[in-house]
Parts: sequence; structure tokens; C-alpha cells
Amino acid sequence: MAEPKLRVLMVSDFFFPNFGGVENHIYYLSQCLLNLGHKVVVMTHAYGNRTGVRYMTGGLKVYYVPWRPFTMQNTFPTVYGTLPIVRTILKRERITVVHGHQAFSTLCHEALMHARTMGYRVVFTDHSLYGFADVGSIHMNKVLQFTLADIDQAICVSHTSKENTVLRSGLAPGKVFMIPNAVDTAMFKPADVRPSSDDVITIVVISRLVYRKGADLLVEVIPEVCRLYPNVRFVVGGDGPKHVRLEEMREKHSLQDRVEMLGAVPHSRVRSVLVTGHIFLNSSLTEAFCIAILEAASCGLLTVSTRVGGVLPDDMVVLAEPDPDDMVRAIEKAISILPSINPEEMHNRMKKLYSWQDVAKRTEIVYDRALKCSNRNLLERLSRFLSCGAWAGKVFCMVMIIDYLLWRLLQLLQPDDDIEEAPDINFCN
Amino acid sequence: MDKNLAGDSTPRPKWRKVAYGGMQIGYNDNYTDETFLGEMVMNANVVRRDLLKVMKDSVSISQYLCIVALVVLVWVHTLESSLDENSLLLLDLSLLALGFLVLLLTEEKMLLLRYIANVSFFTTGLYVLAPVYQTLTRSISSDSIWAVTVSLLLLHLFLHDYSGSTIRAPGALKSPSLTSCISVNASVVASVFVASRLPSRRHVFAVMLFSLQVFLFAPPVTYCIKKFSFGLHLLFSFGLIGLTLYSVYALHILFFVLFLVIVVVVNVVCPYWLIRMQEYKFEISGPWDEAKLCFDITD
Repeated sequence: MAEPKLRVLMVSDFFFPNFGGVENHIYYLSQCLLNLGHKVVVMTHAYGNRTGVRYMTGGLKVYYVPWRPFTMQNTFPTVYGTLPIVRTILKRERITVVHGHQAFSTLCHEALMHARTMGYRVVFTDHSLYGFADVGSIHMNKVLQFTLADIDQAICVSHTSKENTVLRSGLAPGKVFMIPNAVDTAMFKPADVRPSSDDVITIVVISRLVYRKGADLLVEVIPEVCRLYPNVRFVVGGDGPKHVRLEEMREKHSLQDRVEMLGAVPHSRVRSVLVTGHIFLNSSLTEAFCIAILEAASCGLLTVSTRVGGVLPDDMVVLAEPDPDDMVRAIEKAISILPSINPEEMHNRMKKLYSWQDVAKRTEIVYDRALKCSNRNLLERLSRFLSCGAWAGKVFCMVMIIDYLLWRLLQLLQPDDDIEEAPDINFCN
Repeated sequence: MDKNLAGDSTPRPKWRKVAYGGMQIGYNDNYTDETFLGEMVMNANVVRRDLLKVMKDSVSISQYLCIVALVVLVWVHTLESSLDENSLLLLDLSLLALGFLVLLLTEEKMLLLRYIANVSFFTTGLYVLAPVYQTLTRSISSDSIWAVTVSLLLLHLFLHDYSGSTIRAPGALKSPSLTSCISVNASVVASVFVASRLPSRRHVFAVMLFSLQVFLFAPPVTYCIKKFSFGLHLLFSFGLIGLTLYSVYALHILFFVLFLVIVVVVNVVCPYWLIRMQEYKFEISGPWDEAKLCFDITD
């Protein structure tokens, strides 16, 4: 078997069996990189009884490290506790590049720090937007500044996300690559027979019903649209704290037959819900990169959305401000251009606009750039940390020095040659 | 920035700030053009402060510090038996009448009714419960009592709501926050501890009545004065500061110096420092911020 060109370790607290955007991204990216001939290993924390090594489709090896999550799926931050296991995994799999995901993941930050101490190349992908003003964000940004002070390359999923990350971490814009998420267009196909839009127009909403996703805007918009257009019905999928408000809205305006609440929809059934509709409505107040509208566009639905500029071409999406009147106006415009929409043609266009293979190729370029970065020794790296702040810079330097000393100690106790290297098993044939 | 990757004379297409369509021909993924951070807005909601106004506003803080200092003075004099219970009761009644008069003059009808109701309610309550307070801390040593009282008073001063008052008329816009409720409770508990060290039941009743009156009703009364006329408020504050300084001087010279230093720091040094720090304010807003809903969510 040919020697893999790159050997990548993906690190994050967020991976399957937990479900979400980051998990999906890591999985699809890993699968496409495996298809390109590289070796990919994923490291995450244990989920319940699921610890140890598991193999997924295509030979994707997943290390469920036996650390329990303590809050919001994050492992307990012990700063140096993960050093032995990370070193063992990096040596066993002969990793060349470590790729961390999500600023909120403590395991990611720790693993990147240890990988950097041991001289590996690190790449970081940021998936979310954060503010600057509240206490939680200020601390998170400082931690991010620490991790990104010594990174080789960084990736962001949208232009807004790139600006946000650069402001939060003080990283040079030239080091940040913009590689968006993509959608599995093979899974999200339009219906064979499109539901007729002559008598009833169906608007689909699938999101978590929380404040951040604009559930309160839905409560204002749905009755107004139902009043203006008697032939429109809504299908609302998803669950959350704002569920109660939507139910109250249904009761108050007697819309039980025109607004259907499906509750939580598992991801495998999302496509079957989407193909019953003509228009997809997204009302989120802030979004780094909205995959839901890509899935909807891939199924041939016209999208009405807030705050997601630059994700879809102008003829596939109608943008609105997060204000009820503007959203109603946008829905009116969408209804008027609905007859000119061809779902099959939209699906075929989406296949060319977004694909995971394209994302993997672009990520490969980032890895190659990272490998070309020069390897600095400890003293040169410490000078990068000192610029992080008057007090913080010195604290960060201390942290890195202790990490370096602990690594040398581990090398004395368990020499590198004693760590057995895992053989590469070929699953493709 | 980046060289033309094609290397020949065909111009590369213009770079667009979009996420779809894969890699843009002729540009790397880390290409940054001049529109980068173009939509960032700095210091949009920052209020520029004026030194004189800040100093005038800080007078409310030193006014409240004086009120608390006067309460502590009355406690000290009562504990030393230089103030007997009859004169204390007289003080209570005159303060009650004064508060009533102020509320009447500034025409706060709702607050006035609440004031009368609360006062009658807790006067009777206090008189009945005075024996309980008297023996409450008999088994606790005096040192612990003084330590706890001082810490509770400091907590009260830190968490106090200086901008308004915790006791508001019903229907007021801002409901009291957690920290202001904690501060009121701390002051009440401190008064109970001090009152429990006194010899007779009438002493206990008089001191409790005095402390509760001041801690619970001084904030709304001073708030009403401030709302009614700012000049009157300044006059009242300066009078109060003068009275306190004189009384503390009569007590002990060290406390006088300490109190004077605190008043100067609060009124002069802190406003100046705040104005100097204003230049470093850096508020960032842009398209990554969570949108603010323009309507109120009524549950």
C-alpha cells in the first residue's frame, strides 16, 4: 500500500455520537481526506461507555480518550493532564499535522498546545462567532489568543467568521484561510414529484427553538403571513425552550390547521421534511455559517433568511433584516418568485457550488502550507507569547515552559522508541 | 497582494466576498482585500463623559457614605452609653417626621402611602420582637459580633444600588437587582447584631427603629430629593458631609483623617481616573454581533 501523503490528527470535544455542525464537518472532511489517500485519525473524549478505539467508515480511526465531559460536552481543563495520551497517540500513528476544531473545546486547545511543544504542525478551525463584551467571551478570547499565538495556519468557515477570529485573537489575516462548510448533496435530493405550489404553499422551518435562532421572530412573522396569504401553511421542526411561545401563538390566532409542529426531527429525517415544502425560512440572529440553508437549497427549496450574506447566490436566497416587517416583505417576494424556481436545476447548481471534496482539497493546500512553515525552537516561540499581554504573556510563557519540561520528563520515563507504532490497515480494497 | 497565478496577460476575475463556488480562480483562500473589516464599527455606543458632571454625580456616593457613617456613630454612642434611649427615640421620631415631610413636599404619592404603611407595620413588629433581639447573641462573643458587623457593613456599601433605590413605588421601570437586595439584607442583619448588644428592651427598640428607618428609607428619600431639585440635593449632601466630618472629628482624629481621605478619593480622584481611562475604551461591533430584537418579548 502506498505510504499516505499526510497523516492528520483531528482533535475536538465534539464528535459522533454527539450530533451537530462541528461533528458533521469533522466526519465529512475526514472521509474526503481518506479518499484522497491521506491517513486521518480523530481524537475526542469518551461518551458514556464508549471509550477506546473505534473504526468508522473508510477506516477512520477514532480514539475515545477516557476523559469524562464535565459541562456542555467539554472535558475538564487540566492543562497538562492530556499530555501523555496526546504524545502516545501522535507517536503511535506517526502524525504529521494536528488539526483542532472549535474554540469552545478545551481538549482541542490542550492538544494543540502539546502538539506544538513536541514540534508538530498545528492547524486550527474556528466554527463559531463570539462577542467581545461579556465576561465569558473575554476569557475565551484570551485562551484563543494563547492557542493562536503559535499556530501554523488557521481556517474559518465564512468571511464574517474570519473577521471575527482575526479581531479576537490578533492573528495576521494572511494566516487565516476561508474554507466554508459544504453539504452532502447526494443525501439531500429534491423530491421526485414536486408538491404543487398552485393551491398550497408550504414554508418549512427547521431549527432549534432558542432565542439565538430567532424563535421570537417566528412568533411575530407566522401570524402575519398567515393573515396575508390564506394559501400558505407552515411546518415547524425542532424543539427547545421557545416551543411554548410558538404553541401559544398557534392557540391565540387559531392556526392549528395551518401551522404544524413536528417536535425534534432527527437528522436522518430532515430531508423527508424538507421535500414537502417550497420555501425554507431561517430567522437566526447570528450565524457563523448556516448549513441548514445549504441542505434546503440542495433539496430545491427557495430560502428566506436573515444574516447569512455570501452563502448562496442572490437568486437562491432572499435576505431580510431580523425585523418582522422586513421578513414578511421577504416572504412576499419569495412567494412571488416561487413559480420560476426549478428544484432539479437548483440541486444541480448546488452540486457545483458546494462539495466536501472541494473542501478537502482546499484543506490539503492549508496542510501543505503548514508543513512548509519553519520549525522554531522554544526560545523563538516564547517571544510570540510575550506579545499577548502585559501579564498574560508572562503567564503563557510559564505554561509553555512547564509543558516543555513535562514533555522532556515523559521522554525520560518512556523513551520515544518504546512507543509501538500502529500499522496502517488498508480498508479501501 | 498575491501575484497573478496564471502568469499571462488574461486578467483574473474580480475577487468576491462570497463562500460559494469553491476556490476563486487566481486567488488563494487566505486572500485579504481592502474590504476586510470594512463593516466594523468602533465605539458606536460609548458615552463621552465630562469631568464636572461625573464629580457632581459622585456626590450621591459620598452622601450615602456619610449616612452610613452617621448611623455607625449613633451606634457607637449608644453602646458607650453617651446617648440614652429617650433621646434616641426622639431622634427616631424627628427623622420619621422629616422623611414624611420630604415625601409630602416632593409629591411622591405612591411612595408616601407605602412609607406610612411600612413604618406603622414594622414599628409595632419591632416593639413586639425587641425582647427576642435583646437575647439573640448573648452566647456569641463581642469580637465576633464586631467583626461580622463590620464585614456586613462593607458588603452593604459595595453592593448598594447608588443610582436609585431598592424600595421603589410599585410599577417602577427597573425591578431591584439581586445585589441591591443582598445589600439591604446585610444592613438589616448588621443592625440586629449591634442592637442585640444593648442592655434594655427600650434601647433595643430605639436603635433597631433608628437603623431600619435609615437603611430602608434614606435611599428613597434622598432619591426623591435628587429628582425634585439637583441644587437642593447638592446642598443637602454638602451639609451632611460637613456634619459627619464634625462628628467623626469629635470621636477620634484617626477616623476623621480616614474619612476625609475616602471622601476626597470618591469625589475627586476617582472621577479624574475614570476620565483618563476613557481613551482606552475600545468597543467593537460588526456583522458578527447577535442582532438585537426591535420589539419586546412579552411572555
